[in-house]
Parts: sequence; structure tokens; C-alpha cells
Amino acid sequence: MPLTVEQIRADVADVLGEEPDDIPVDENLVDYGLDSVRIMSLLERWRRDHGVEASFADLAEQPAVEAWAPMLGAAA
Amino acid sequence: MTTLAEPAAHELPLTAAQSGMWYAQALDPESPAQNTAEYLEIHAAVDPHAFGEALRRVAAEADALRVRIADGPDGPRQWYAAPAAFPLEVLDLAEDAALAWMRADLARPFDLAAEPPFRHALIRVGERRWFWYQRVHHIVMDGYGYSLLARRTAEAYTALAAGADPGPSPFGSLADLVAEDAAYRASDAFAADREHWAAAFADHPEVITLAGRTALPSRTFLRRSAHLDPEATDKLKAVAGSVRATWPEVLIAAQALYVSRATRTTDVVLGLPMMGRMGSAALRIPGMVMNVLPLRLTVTPDATFAELTRQVVLGIRAARKHQRYRYEDIRRDLGLLGEGRALTGPLVNVMPFDYDLTFAGARADAHNLSAGPVEDLTVNVYDRTDGRGLRIDYDVNPALYADAEVAAHQERFLDLLGRLAVADPHARLSEHGIATELERAEVLLKFNDTARPVPPTTLVGPIEARAMRTPHATAVVHGLDALTYAQLDARANQLARHLATLGVRPGALAAVAVPRSLDLVVTLLAVLKAGGAYLPLDPDYPAARLAYMLEDAAPACVITDVADRLPDTAGVPQVVLDGLDLSAYLTINPPRALTPQHPAYVIYTSGSTGRPKGVVVPHSAIDNRLRWMQAEYGLEPSDRVLQKTPSGFDVSVWEFFWPLREGATLVVADPGGHQDPDYLARTIREQAITTCHFVPSMLQVFLGAAEAAGAAGPLRRVFCSGEALPRETAADFHRVLPGVPLHNLYGPTEAAVDVTYHACEPGSSGPVPIGRPVWNTRLYVLDEAGQPCPPGVPGELYLAGAQLADGYLGRPELTDERFVPDPYGPLGTRMYRTGDLARWTADGEVEYLGRTDHQVKLRGLRIELGEIEAALAADDTVNGAGVLVREDRPGDQRLVGYVTGSDADPKALRERLAARLPEYMVPGAIVVLDAFPLSPNGKLDRKALPAPSYEGAAARAPRTPLEETLTRLFAEALGLDRVGVEDAFFDLGGTSLLAARLVTRLRETLGAELTIGTLFQAPSPAALAARLEEGGAADDALGVLLPLRATGSRTPLFALHPAGGLSWCYSALLARLDPEQPVYGLQARGLTGVGELPRTLEDMAADYAAQIRSVQPHGPYRLLGWSVGGVVAQAVAVRLREAGERVELLALLDAYPSDQWRGLAVPVEADALRALLRMAGFDQEGELTTEGVLATLRREGSALAGLSQRTLRAVLDIVVNNARLMREHDTRVFDGDALFFTAAAPREEDWLTRKAWAPYIGGTLENHDIDCLHQELTQPERMDEIAEVLRARLR
Repeated sequence: MPLTVEQIRADVADVLGEEPDDIPVDENLVDYGLDSVRIMSLLERWRRDHGVEASFADLAEQPAVEAWAPMLGAAA
Repeated sequence: MTTLAEPAAHELPLTAAQSGMWYAQALDPESPAQNTAEYLEIHAAVDPHAFGEALRRVAAEADALRVRIADGPDGPRQWYAAPAAFPLEVLDLAEDAALAWMRADLARPFDLAAEPPFRHALIRVGERRWFWYQRVHHIVMDGYGYSLLARRTAEAYTALAAGADPGPSPFGSLADLVAEDAAYRASDAFAADREHWAAAFADHPEVITLAGRTALPSRTFLRRSAHLDPEATDKLKAVAGSVRATWPEVLIAAQALYVSRATRTTDVVLGLPMMGRMGSAALRIPGMVMNVLPLRLTVTPDATFAELTRQVVLGIRAARKHQRYRYEDIRRDLGLLGEGRALTGPLVNVMPFDYDLTFAGARADAHNLSAGPVEDLTVNVYDRTDGRGLRIDYDVNPALYADAEVAAHQERFLDLLGRLAVADPHARLSEHGIATELERAEVLLKFNDTARPVPPTTLVGPIEARAMRTPHATAVVHGLDALTYAQLDARANQLARHLATLGVRPGALAAVAVPRSLDLVVTLLAVLKAGGAYLPLDPDYPAARLAYMLEDAAPACVITDVADRLPDTAGVPQVVLDGLDLSAYLTINPPRALTPQHPAYVIYTSGSTGRPKGVVVPHSAIDNRLRWMQAEYGLEPSDRVLQKTPSGFDVSVWEFFWPLREGATLVVADPGGHQDPDYLARTIREQAITTCHFVPSMLQVFLGAAEAAGAAGPLRRVFCSGEALPRETAADFHRVLPGVPLHNLYGPTEAAVDVTYHACEPGSSGPVPIGRPVWNTRLYVLDEAGQPCPPGVPGELYLAGAQLADGYLGRPELTDERFVPDPYGPLGTRMYRTGDLARWTADGEVEYLGRTDHQVKLRGLRIELGEIEAALAADDTVNGAGVLVREDRPGDQRLVGYVTGSDADPKALRERLAARLPEYMVPGAIVVLDAFPLSPNGKLDRKALPAPSYEGAAARAPRTPLEETLTRLFAEALGLDRVGVEDAFFDLGGTSLLAARLVTRLRETLGAELTIGTLFQAPSPAALAARLEEGGAADDALGVLLPLRATGSRTPLFALHPAGGLSWCYSALLARLDPEQPVYGLQARGLTGVGELPRTLEDMAADYAAQIRSVQPHGPYRLLGWSVGGVVAQAVAVRLREAGERVELLALLDAYPSDQWRGLAVPVEADALRALLRMAGFDQEGELTTEGVLATLRREGSALAGLSQRTLRAVLDIVVNNARLMREHDTRVFDGDALFFTAAAPREEDWLTRKAWAPYIGGTLENHDIDCLHQELTQPERMDEIAEVLRARLR
């Protein structure tokens, strides 16, 4: 099942301990507490559940939902 | 590190991250500490050719591995080097040998300027098992960089092994990294980040370290590996999930909790190494990017673990926004660099990802060998997918931790993690201690196994029993007076019966204000016999304090010796012994309903704050204390115990009553006698005292008394208590009184005199323990959450058991505050909170570490004054020492040392102290006292110590040419006009950059082996000179041969002294000539004031020629001389030629042959003074005096100002003698060339001309005019010109 932007926000919110509504799509998620361990856990989850092929560096290089969506095959 | 004048093309500056590493390496250029290394264990046969090819390819793709790095004129640079021999070894070794080989390789430093900054090895350890080892200098690679290299290597090898092409490089360029770094440092974000960190640490939080001290980084680290078992690992991860954190965050919180408890601080700063690449192109660039993020946490016992973890999550989140700002920069901004101080406690380095790589399908396991230098402690945590749980390595600086200490910290941390993994994260942190279960049992039970049944007696009962048994034995002696047990008992009984009529009975108080005498003993006993508790009132106490005590205690009566003993008894009835007729009373024991629970005495103690408080001690407590003492030390009827402690100090309680309970004799010292060491020594000898007590500071005074050694005869035991007993005092004791046992006891008044004991052994070292608990007594060392501290960890000392006082008289609230429920004892029991800091030793003794409330904090540094005191006391010139923090001017806190000792010299003492202690622990002033002010009970009276005068003497002048050279180079490096010999480099604005420059310059100038590390430890010219002289052969600054620079590959240059006989002026040449050019000075005989002066200039020349040949047996020779030195040099040259040697350089600095001087008057002293001044490069108009000349020299910072009067006298004699020799000398012909420097400014002696040399120089005389006066030739600008000419000749 392909990812959606909403699902990405929900998953990011989950690892950050925040509410999905508080996760912006266009801001640097590092400022919200996203770190390498959390990116890896997201990546593992998405690889397992959604067949995502992006690498750690891909996600870490531009840590924002908007930038991730195309790499993660998510429709807006 | 080589300095290269012209770096190759394609050069780049270092990034800020690299600069940090560069200066760390510059601290110790030969150190391998900056090496990082790991090996991958590949579970398959490896094709070494394909693997080698993969490695070459990756090394070519990774810019960072292609650089060389060296210092340049504008700081360190890196540039791409031409391909070099590829550093790869292929080996076939057994596993043990392979590990040993890798360890040995790891100990080799890189030469960053000359070789690749990495090295590989492929080691075949089995048919299907290979190790790929790589070592990389940290300056080019960090941990994340390693993972990029490993991944690409796996990819390239896999492709090559399959005959495929590995494809294009995935790496970004080093130039991008440098550009990104430069852009950040020029950005607004950089300035904002700097402000953020400056504000976050503006209050200079305490430097926390588990070691309790700091040290420079070592060249190696000590590693201890362990695993958190898989089950605990899983549970810990589950706990992390339940509090919405990651497991590394939970682990960081746990480490903060551990550090907080182990160091007794709530303000914990941990260092978190971060990959520093989020949102950056650096994610694809192998290089050195990582940074250490300081994470500041508040750890309080009342918070929960979940809250602490949340603090970690939010703290990291906040810090991350400023994470590009370098850790070294924060330290520098805070001024911590110069002091060599850390910013954070332990580093927690979490590596949450395994590489998870395959090499041509084969699995590989990564093994880290070195993660870089370890300043204090780094906890490296790996989550490997090997099913063994979290791997937790403790890497420590071996200068700070012993093996057993690392093991203990690591085991406790794992134990704590295990407990946190199964505990409710919402429980309070106070439920967790850091001791393991085994340690808890040890410190709570095993070390406190003191239960001993005692009969329910009182303090006085056994005395009455003894009086019945041995009525005729001598009970008490004072001077020529004495009482038998029967007499004492009878008199005390009569007085007791009288006191009973005044209301003295069980539970009531009677004050006693009687000076030390037989009457005092009778009176105290009488109060007890009446059933009352006595309240000692030391007649020496200030009247106001006595009045306060009477009012506060409201005793039934007050007993005095004479009517006007007390100024005001506030309505309390008085019993005056003088003239009191008790003959009507019976002499047998009075009736009384006394139980062991009734109070025996009340002693007032002064609290650190507030008014004095009366401690109420019951009979059972002091009875237990005396029963233990008898069992431990076995007093016999033949013993004689000295009573010298004032009765207001509780040590007097055992002095008075122990001997009377055991049938021994109590010998009462004269009032005031306890403060007179000679009196005490005499009394001990004459009265055959076997047992006595000293407060340690008084013991030190006593041991210094002339007659102290005479006390060794009768003494059987000496007790110390009341203050920490310095080891030095104990050592002195064993030296002065060999064979006499010394016992160190400890206890507050609140626990019946003493609760711990330790027998001092001669030859022991380290702090003297206060020892083990006495009978029926428990000691607890508790952390701030009230949890027991394991051995070695400092905590507050609590006391429990039979000896606790009832509490404070009439102060229930204060009593409840200090006597609290004992959670570790039987239900309903109490423990007393001492306010003392202590720790258990591994074998169950306690060490006293100071007061919890007297802890000194200066500029954020926790300072143990005791440590400084011990260092002072260890000095040979010091008898006793005390240190305190004074604030004589508001806001200006200074550490001041006080010492006694007739030979103590504050300045020299400070210098020696600076060699033993960190700069911040060296007192700013040291005051020498005749004696320490002591309080009435014999303790050091800190309040009576005088304020030091800070003016002191002006900075002294340099004493040696080396010091002068150093002050000059310091000034030059710092861009200052002048630097004092004792000014510290970093205090004057020195940065590590400037330090690196200075060190390079010092190495070139002096040819000395030194590092920035040396400069940190010896930051002033004086200290550095001492360090350098220590290292090299002790060069005698007044010797005939003065090695200005003894090292170097070139033919030495010999410089001959001018008229004054000293060659120090030539030190200015050193910095201007090639570092490989050795320079020796020849100096006049007789500078030390010993020996005869030469009789002819030819004698002098012969002597110097022999000296020169002792350094360099054969030519070609290089000679130089200024003024008279030029004439002597020419004479030496003639002699060397006569011996058949070649002289390739004869340099004459404004020197004129004897002909020119003959007939002139021989100089008088005033001229000699002028010569001295000129030798230092100055001149002065008008009449000269010795004082005036010295003042000039001092003002100008000349080393000559430091000459002793004796040397100065010798110099003046030498000047006069040399003038005579010059006039009498018959110049001979030298058949070679001469190089001449003319001081070309118009001069008074206008007849002087170099043409006068024509008859005596066979070859040519090449002249260079220098636009200055004769005496100005050795000034820096002139020396520049002269050295330029010389350099061309000194190839």
C-alpha cells in the first residue's frame, strides 16, 4: 500500500511524540526533534510496510515531509 | 608536524572541526591518541587483489583521504597530495597475533604532512575469516565517515569480485565541506549560536568528572567492554517506547542519573558526539564533521525517570538547533581552554546502527578499536545485530582511572540500566541508587557488623565500683597534689549531696565553671553522682557566650571555683567551691534514681550558622563509647592519662572518666597548658604519661617542639580527633615518636565523642582514614537521594546506633532536622546527619573528605581545600598549613594559603605548588604565620587568620638568558611590548592558535623539544624555563661554556663575551639563525666570584680555545665577538691556526685592536657600570650608580637585573681586568679573512677605526655598517641586520 502525505505526518508525529496536526509539511523536522535514530525507525517501518527504497542519506539530507513525499512514492 | 613554507597547489583551509583536531594533535605531536581504527570481520574467503583494488578506488574517491596537512604562515592548511605508495598490508596471522598487530599499529602516530592519513591491512585469520583493518587520523574522518567508506568498499569489492564495474563515486567533495563550514562561520546563525551557548553556560557550571580530578589527555586510552544482556536491552527499549523516547535517549538519561549520584551534583553536563550532518550535503562526504553537543540536565531525586528522559529529549531537541557551533569554540568562548578545563562530564557516544554490510555476499561484523582520544570518560554504545544486546564500552583516560575503577563504574551502570529496564519509569528517581545489590549489602551490613551486647550501666556506676575495689590507688594528680580513689570518691559524694539539695538530680542540669584542677574532677563526678547531667562552661569563653549558655540551658545551679568567676549568672544559683564547707555531708554514694537513658552531660557546639546549641548525651551512649574504648585499647591501672582538653570539648569526657573507670591515674594539666608544646612535652616525660590526645593541628605544633622526642619513652598510645589528620602529620609523628601507636578517631559531639577509629601505620600513604565504626554503631554514606554510595563514591556521612545523642536541648525542630528516621536500621531508630563528606574504602574504612557545607566553589570549580592544604604541608619548608577562600573585597574571592615554618618563602612555595596543583588551586597569596590562631578548644580559628596584602613585590626580572629569551618570545607571540617572567601565557590573551605559533618559534629558537601541552603546564616564562632546564642538562648560566643552543646539525658558532664577561647578549642570535645552527657562548672565568681572573689576554685565549675544542675537537671553526670579545676571538683564531686548524668565520662586532686603546686610562667602577649597561644593550647619561643601573636593567626586562650582588661585583672586577688585558695585549697576525660590523653612528671615541686591524688580518676584512651606536648592536633590529649577513656565511 503506497504511503500518503497524511500517513507520513502521522508516522513522524508518532516517533516525535507529537500530534500529526503539529507536524508541518514544509519545515525542517530537525527543529521538531527528528534525529538519525528516528529517521531510521521511520525508514524501517516504511520499508517493511510500504516497500520504500529511499536511503538514510536521502531522507536526512532534506528532512521535511514535502521533500520526502516524492522519494517515498506518496501522493499528495 | 612539519612546517612547510610553500604548500602545494589545491590547498584548502581546515574546517573548524579539523582545526580542533589539529590543535589537539599539536598538544603532543608524537601522540597516536588521534588515531581512530576499526576492523571488519568478514566471514568468507576474501580475494586480496580485488579487495586491494576496491580500497585503492575508495581512497581515490574520498577527498579526505588524499590530503596532507601542515602548518603554514596563516595557520594549518590541507592540500591534495600526489598518489603515494598505497598503505595496505596483507597478512596471514592467527587471531591473537592479528589483534596484537592491530593494537601495535594503532599506537603509531601519523606524520600528516608527509604520509597518507590512513592505513589498511587485510589479515587472513582463517580459511573463511578475514579481518579488514583500517586506521585513519581523526582529523580527516569521523564515525559516520567510516560508515560511508565501509559501505562503498563493500559495494566496490562486491562488484570487482564479480568482474563488474563499481560505478561512479557516490561521494561529495571535501571542498564542499570546507565551503559549507566557511559559509556557516560567516553567517548570522553562527553569531546566534555563539550567543546561545554563551548564555547557556554563562554561570560556568561545575566541571563534573567521576574521577574527581582532571589530567591532560594521555596517548592511549583504557577500554573495558561489556554487554547489557539481550533481555534487559529489549526491556529498556520497551521503556523508551513507553515514554515516547528512543533507547539512546533513555541511555543518556540513565548515565545522567549515574553521574549525578556519583558526583553529588544535580547539575549534570554530558557530552554527546553528534554526526552533525542532518540536512547537509555532508551526508555523502566522508570526512571529519562530528561535533560534541553539551547537554545540560537537572537531575533531582524527586523527578521521575520518565521526566528525566523527557528532559533529555527536549534538551537535545533544543541543543540541536545550535549544533553546528563547535564544542571547542564554546570552551574557548567561556575561557575554559586556557585553563585546560573541560565543559562536560562523560561523553555518551551512541552508535545506533550496525553497518549491516556484505562483501560479495559474505556477512561482516564491525569491531571498533579506537573512537579517538579520551579526555576523561567516553561511554561508547553500539547496537549490533549480533543478538548479544547493547555493547557498552567504557573508554577512559588511564591517567585518571585505574582498571578496577572503570570496572566498578561500568558494572554499576549496567546494573542500573538493568533495574531501570524493569522499574516503573514514573517512579521517583530517589528509588534508584547506583550501588549494586552486592555493594549495598556490603556497605550497609558487612561494614557495619558491630553489634555487641553491653550491660545497662551509666557513666558513673563503674567509677564508683572501681573506687570500692582500689580505694588506695592514685586516682587523680595535679602538679604536687593527688587524690586516691577513696579521697576522690568521698569528696565527690559530699559535694553531690550538697548539689542534690539544690535540685541536681536525674534529668536535671548543673553547670560547671571551674578551671582545670583537682576540684574540676571532683565537681564533674559530683554532678554525675547526684544523678544530674553536667554542663561545662569554659571560663575562657567570652562572657556573652557563657551568659547565653546559662540562659539557654537553665541549669539547677552553676558551680564555680571562686565567687567572681562568672560575670553574670542570669539568676542561676551559684555554688562557690572556695570556702565551701561540706564536712557535714556523708561521704558515701548518694541515693539517686539514675538510668542509662538519663542525660550524662550537655555540651554546646557552634553550628556553622546560628547560635550555639546544647547536645544532650545520655549515659547509655557514653557508656557504650567507653566500653568499646576499653575493649579496643585496654587501659591498665599502671596507665597515666593526661587531661588537657578543655571540658567544653567532648574529647575531655573520655580523658576524665576512662581512667577513673579502669583504675588508672588521671593527670591534670595546668590551665592553658594544652596550648604550650614545651610544657606538654615536659609533663608527658615528668609525669610518665602513657595516654593522651591531640587535635591534629596541635599535634603538628607539638611535634615541632624541641622536647617532643622525649615523650616517646612513657607514651603507649596517642589519640587524634577533632579535625582531619593530615598524612604528613601522621608521618611526622612516627618519625618523632617512633614505636608509639597513633590512633585517628572521628565523631561529632552528637554521637558521644567518637564513632570511628583507625590505627595509623608508619609508612602508609594517602589520606588517613577515619576508620571503622565502633561497637553498636552504623555508618552510612548516602547520596543526595538517601541511597547508599558504593565504596569509593563520596556521599554524606550518617551515623546510627547506641551512641547517638538525645538531641539538642530545647530545640525539637533542629533535633528532627539532624536526627532523622534510619531507613536502614531497626524500625523506629534514628540516624544523625553529620554534614561531613566521606567515602568508603574497598575494605570497609571511611575516609573523611571535608564538610558538605564548606565546599568551596571558585569560578564554577569545586575546590577541596584539604587537597591544597596537604600539598602545602608536604613542602619541606612548611610545618603547618591552612587554606581558605577570602572575600576581602566584595565579589573578589581569592584562595589564600596560611603556613607556619621559619624557612617558608611564599613566592618559592607558590612556584612549587604550581608544579603540583592545577593553576586554579594555587593560592593567589600565601601568608607565613608564626603560629596558627587556635580557638579555645584547640581547633584552627579560621576567622582569626589575617588578610593577605596583595601588593607584594613587583614582578621579578628574568634571572637567566633563557628566561629573557622566553619573555621576549612570549611578548612577540602575544603582540605585547613586554611580558613578565611570571605572567601566564593564557592570562595575557594567548589562544591555542597563538600557542601553536609560539611553540613552533620556541622549537626553532631553542632547539628544545616541547609541545603546547608543555605550555599548558608551564604557562609562564619562568615556569617554562624551569621545565626546559629540568629536561636538558642543567646549564650553568655563569659557566665558561654557555650552551645557548646545544642542538643542531651545523658547525657550531662560538660567541665570545664582551667586557662584562657574560655572553647572554648573544641569545638574541638564536631566533635569527637557522634552528640547526648550534651557538655556544664563552664567558669570563670568575663570574661566580671564585677563582682568579686571567693575567693576560693570551692566557684567556688559550683557555677559550681549549673550551671550544672540548665541544668541537677540529675545525673548521666559527668565531664571533663583540667589543672586547672580538679582540679575544681574533687571538683565539690565531691559536687555532697555530694548531693547524681551519677558521672559516671570524666575525668582529665593532671590535678594535689593542693599539687603539693603549695609553688610555684604565676604567674605574663607573665605567665598569657603563660596560654592564652596554652589555645589556643600553646606555645612560650622567653619573651611574649600581642601584640606578640595576633599576634600568630591571625596567628594560634584562636578565642581567637578576644577577646576585656577588656576581655583579665579579662583573665589575672583570670589566676592569679586561680593560687592563686589552691595553697590555700584543696583537698577533691571523692569516685569514674577517667579517666586520661597524656601529656607524657618530661616536665619542672618534679615533676608533677598523683600519687598525690591517696589520693583524692577513686576508680581507669585509665591512658592514650598522646604523647604531656600539652598545646598540645587540638590540633586536640591529641583530636582524647582522644575522642576515651571518646566515649567508653559516650554511
